[in-house]
Amino acid sequence: MAKITRRSFVGIMAASTTALSMPSIAFGALPRVVVIGGGAGGATAAKYIAKDSKGAVDVTLVEASKRYYTCFFSNLYLGDFRNYGSIGHNYYGLAVNHGVNMVHEWASSVNSAEKKVYLGSGATVSYDKLVISPGIDLKFNSVNGYSPEAQSIMPHAWKSGTQVQLLKNQVKGMKKGGTFVMVPPPNPYRCPPGPYERISMIAHQFKKTNPTAKIVVLDPKNKFSKQSLFMEGWQKHYPGMIEWISADTHGGIKKINTSTMEFETDLDTFKADAASVIPAQQAGRIAMNAGVNKGDWCPIVPASMQSQADENIYVLGDASIAKSMPKSGFSANSQAKVAANHIRGSLTGSKVFTPRFANTCWSLVATNDGIKVGANYDAKPDKINKTSGFISKTGEDSNLRKATYEESIGWYSGITSDMFS
Amino acid sequence: MKSKFVFFSIIILLLFSNKILADDKALAGADFEYGQHLSGECVTCHNSTGLGQGIPKITGMKTAVFIKKILAYKTKEKDNAVMQMVADRLGEEEINSLALYLSKTK
Repeated sequence: MAKITRRSFVGIMAASTTALSMPSIAFGALPRVVVIGGGAGGATAAKYIAKDSKGAVDVTLVEASKRYYTCFFSNLYLGDFRNYGSIGHNYYGLAVNHGVNMVHEWASSVNSAEKKVYLGSGATVSYDKLVISPGIDLKFNSVNGYSPEAQSIMPHAWKSGTQVQLLKNQVKGMKKGGTFVMVPPPNPYRCPPGPYERISMIAHQFKKTNPTAKIVVLDPKNKFSKQSLFMEGWQKHYPGMIEWISADTHGGIKKINTSTMEFETDLDTFKADAASVIPAQQAGRIAMNAGVNKGDWCPIVPASMQSQADENIYVLGDASIAKSMPKSGFSANSQAKVAANHIRGSLTGSKVFTPRFANTCWSLVATNDGIKVGANYDAKPDKINKTSGFISKTGEDSNLRKATYEESIGWYSGITSDMFS
Repeated sequence: MKSKFVFFSIIILLLFSNKILADDKALAGADFEYGQHLSGECVTCHNSTGLGQGIPKITGMKTAVFIKKILAYKTKEKDNAVMQMVADRLGEEEINSLALYLSKTK
């Protein structure tokens, strides 16, 4: 054995302190946790708090959708590797197996002074600890000419659901030999390799049914996640089909016109037959309403995922500033377990273990050609610190790439079971 | 009375000493609750319902088997970038705690 790492845990919150900080306990009521958002962060947090507290904490999950379609693997649906139904999940398991109180409504506002969440129906729910995991909102005006109205013409498809179905329909219906224009988002954004996996999956569709089609990528960045791996894969599987143009090369997207389907840049004006525009992003609106944001995103305490603005609020996943972790479903799931452990410790006096974070992002380039990047992290006072990592290598043999793809299928099954079962 | 107790204790110890020593050696510092907590990291990928698709099931695994596999990733004898990274930051106490918890979980 190389080394013995001592487990460290902090036994926190003497019973007297707990009772003082939560008057509700003194009267015999259960401590209450409200979770806003039922994605990779929120669903996981709700489940783990309910499961591990064994009835000692009252957990309410506020999520408008009764069926949740994951953003991760929506690209595989675009490429015909998954059907749409297979990326949809319900909350039956959380309610029935773990006793999570499901409230299918929008959280419209948060009163942090009174510790209340106001719902779309006008009802309120009270909390001792609040978890905010709302994902992203899109900054439509970050691309001149783009708007909520334009999203049906040039789908962003960055929050899953019908947008992804619409995009797939437009890809499949594009005229033979036409041009698909893709605008990825600027940093930071949800799922760093996602836009490039999407390009791969659209190219995969074109290769089957529209082999003379072209894909032009007008990137607001000069480099992107897993770049050398994607570039190698595009050259190998879709030679001559994909033209990626960096920000320095095109000089910036000045304007898009959804009527003429034109993209105006310093370099040229590009005309599309179909397109996807993914604008800049920010934390979901409810985080702004709760006042836990600093600019577009929400600063957190790395050891617990508590908001820096309010110790009774935790912010998970894409909405948080969890540097050095990327905004991914895996990250949100990992952060949720750290927060759940800390929340239970605060409310019931259970052990709080040293926080450990991890992330891995798999991407599919073509049939049986999977690639991955991942890292471990620990909590430093000022950031979530990367301690080790790996990335697939260019030139890997096809058996390894196939195994990586199969591993991603297993991961999807694992994480969705972890979130919803 | 006391000597009788000591006598029987010695007999029992002798009968089971091999097993006890082996288990103690294998599972030094193992803590079920810590193992359960750490397993949160495993079940993001390893399906907790045991449907091994592309990623094997690890619940119900015998402690010796689990420890052998993790150590093989730690020493890079076994190939898999994710598992090598996972194993890399697990110390003896963590591995043993996970082994204990997973072996007792369906």
